[in-house]
Amino acid sequence: MESLVLSPALPAVGELLVPLQQSDWEFVWRNREFLLAGTAITVLLTLSSVAVGVLAGLPAGIVEVYGKGRLADLVRNVGVLLRGTPIVVIFAFTFFVLPIPLPGGRVSVLGTEFGLDAFFAATLGLGLRSAAYQAQIFRGAIQSVGEGQMEAARSVGLSKLGAIRHVVVPQALRRSIPGFQNEYTIVLKDTSVAFFIGLAELLTTGFNLFVQESTAVFEVILAVSAVYFVLTFVTNRGLDALGERFTIPGEGSR
Amino acid sequence: MVSRDIDRRSYLKAVGAAGVTATLAGCAGNGGNGNGDGGGDGDGDGGDTDTATPTETPAPQIVAGTAPGFPPFEIKEDGELTGFDVELFEAIVAETEYEFGGWREFEFDALIPALRDERIDAIAAAMTITDERDQVIDFSDPYYSADQSVIVREGGDFMPESLDDLSGRMIGVQEGTTGEGVVDSELIEEGDLQESNKRVYGNYTLAVQDLENGNIDAIVLDQPVGATFADQRDVVVAYVYETGERYGFGVRENDDARQQAINEGLAAVRDNGTYEELRNEWFGSE
Repeated sequence: MESLVLSPALPAVGELLVPLQQSDWEFVWRNREFLLAGTAITVLLTLSSVAVGVLAGLPAGIVEVYGKGRLADLVRNVGVLLRGTPIVVIFAFTFFVLPIPLPGGRVSVLGTEFGLDAFFAATLGLGLRSAAYQAQIFRGAIQSVGEGQMEAARSVGLSKLGAIRHVVVPQALRRSIPGFQNEYTIVLKDTSVAFFIGLAELLTTGFNLFVQESTAVFEVILAVSAVYFVLTFVTNRGLDALGERFTIPGEGSR
Repeated sequence: MVSRDIDRRSYLKAVGAAGVTATLAGCAGNGGNGNGDGGGDGDGDGGDTDTATPTETPAPQIVAGTAPGFPPFEIKEDGELTGFDVELFEAIVAETEYEFGGWREFEFDALIPALRDERIDAIAAAMTITDERDQVIDFSDPYYSADQSVIVREGGDFMPESLDDLSGRMIGVQEGTTGEGVVDSELIEEGDLQESNKRVYGNYTLAVQDLENGNIDAIVLDQPVGATFADQRDVVVAYVYETGERYGFGVRENDDARQQAINEGLAAVRDNGTYEELRNEWFGSE
């Protein structure tokens, strides 16, 4: 057996890694197109969900800070409900239960086919749950902007809405980047749950591969993990750079 | 100061534009959807549905659902869905007047909701006919009878000869399968096995990996699947437990037309030798 035992100093781990065979790595490489297609679906789903999350989460965060009455109560309660529901239950709800018509038809990404209905249901589920989390990120960031900012803005004649829009939110958005990095990473990894409703994203592609070549479990999982790592790393570094570029003058942290 | 202003404005503009675009896209999506429901069933085959007119009666379809990851019944090979169930069911539908509407993949537990929700018309996923399932969906005539194998490490000293021998050992099962049911009802409820000694996997491949690594001592699984693993991996079948369990194709309750068509198609492929051919192809190593 041609095995790549990593280190003779770690016999237990070495034994565990005996299945790391060259032929299995070749199998992973041969199937790189499927993994790539799965990656593309994962990236698309992450982007659409994070977009829904920002578009619904930012207003929700503002309402949670400044809102009063029924609207604010509603936003808070829906947020608690979404944050407290497992993602697979949310998917089952958006796909099977929700009485809105989902688009029909199937699309092919790099040769891997998937149903638009599953993609939309997954985007809705992940996006709304992400909005609930992002609302808290934005709420925290908005509350971190000193109250003097609001008072100063009002005293130079801005309306309350104008002050929120032109003074508070631009500062809060910058401060929300660290929390947003967390949320992006969580959404990226939770796309894997979308297989429940039949969306063949990256992890599902990996599962299908090692079911076909059952000796390649470790190799496939390592390859899939590496892709998730690269996606997380690149985006987090990108957001870091964005945060530095748009840093609040006089508040540079580095 | 000025450049900062521009940055902020262009930033807000960009965010605003993104919002508007997303809203419009949402509207367009919903609008298109109303049109799509009429002729959209055949979308999988390409653009020809655009030209379909309401006067044309669409051929009745059977869209089949399965849960890949259960060799040799349903697996993905180089991205293509295949396996005993897949080939058999396609052959069966070819014998009926229904048009085959393609495969949809789900996790096993999502298949019955998908069937009841009319996202698929039939389930072909090595599904055992049970009373519990029979209450919510209907089944075709059984097309396969699978007993449960107990598989163990090749060359190991643990070689059970009955289910009782499994007592006190670490046993692996796949979630929601008959194997898990047997372990629950015959061992755990009888007090022969601690609940903590049952290890549940999402997928048999992971269970076999754990068996080879020595983390569990045996796996209870469908006999043909066990035989496939015995061929491919360093495991052997120690003992076969006869459950008399049968697999059936799932159809919606009261969908008598499709149920009958599938039953007739199954009889036809049995008669013309296709069934035997496929069984030999997929379980030939036995």
